[in-house]
Amino acid sequence: MTFMEKSSWVVLVVALPTLLVYVALILPQVLGKPMAEISWVQPMAFAIVGFVVANVLGNVVAAVSNPSEADREDQRDREIGHYGARFGSWLVIAGSCSALVLAMTGADHFWIANALFLGGIAGSILSAVTKIAAYRGSFQAW
Amino acid sequence: MVKPTRVTNSIRSLRFANGEMTQAELADRVGVTRQTIIAIEQGKYSPTLEMAFRIARVFRVPLDEAFQYADEPA
Repeated sequence: MTFMEKSSWVVLVVALPTLLVYVALILPQVLGKPMAEISWVQPMAFAIVGFVVANVLGNVVAAVSNPSEADREDQRDREIGHYGARFGSWLVIAGSCSALVLAMTGADHFWIANALFLGGIAGSILSAVTKIAAYRGSFQAW
Repeated sequence: MVKPTRVTNSIRSLRFANGEMTQAELADRVGVTRQTIIAIEQGKYSPTLEMAFRIARVFRVPLDEAFQYADEPA
């Protein structure tokens, strides 16, 4: 497995629990509390920082486990990287556009921040899944 | 983007004809990862023209001896 594929697995393994834990913390509040009482800033900040830190640590572990592969990236890695990023960016754009519309319509900060957060993390997951599928299956750039 | 390719190759037989060169050795000489050589050999990835030339050059054969492009089915 190349370092880039391991890196995609790290994103997936980190992003899925991050998303699930965040949703598990926020959803009960959304369903049971008035908007003003929802405590979302701290869980979201922890989720974002945790996601970034866990990703860095995961990549360090992947690099240390096979140092000779860590700095090796070839044409196929770059093509798969672009391919995955293109898919992931659609969800990031969708999240950003949703946040824009919510801001224009005067929605609560909670919804604007969550549209951006969910778009970003869902984009990371889709990008990682697409890259892993390309590494595991057949990938033709042209 | 992910579609079957009609590009086939003789890398495996060329490796064996060249002193049973390992995939890792070929990868080092071409400057790619071993996984990329495996993917090319298995027809799961079509290399760029430049990479194809580099592979053919390692075996000192013309490009079309290392890579073939099948005719379209009638």
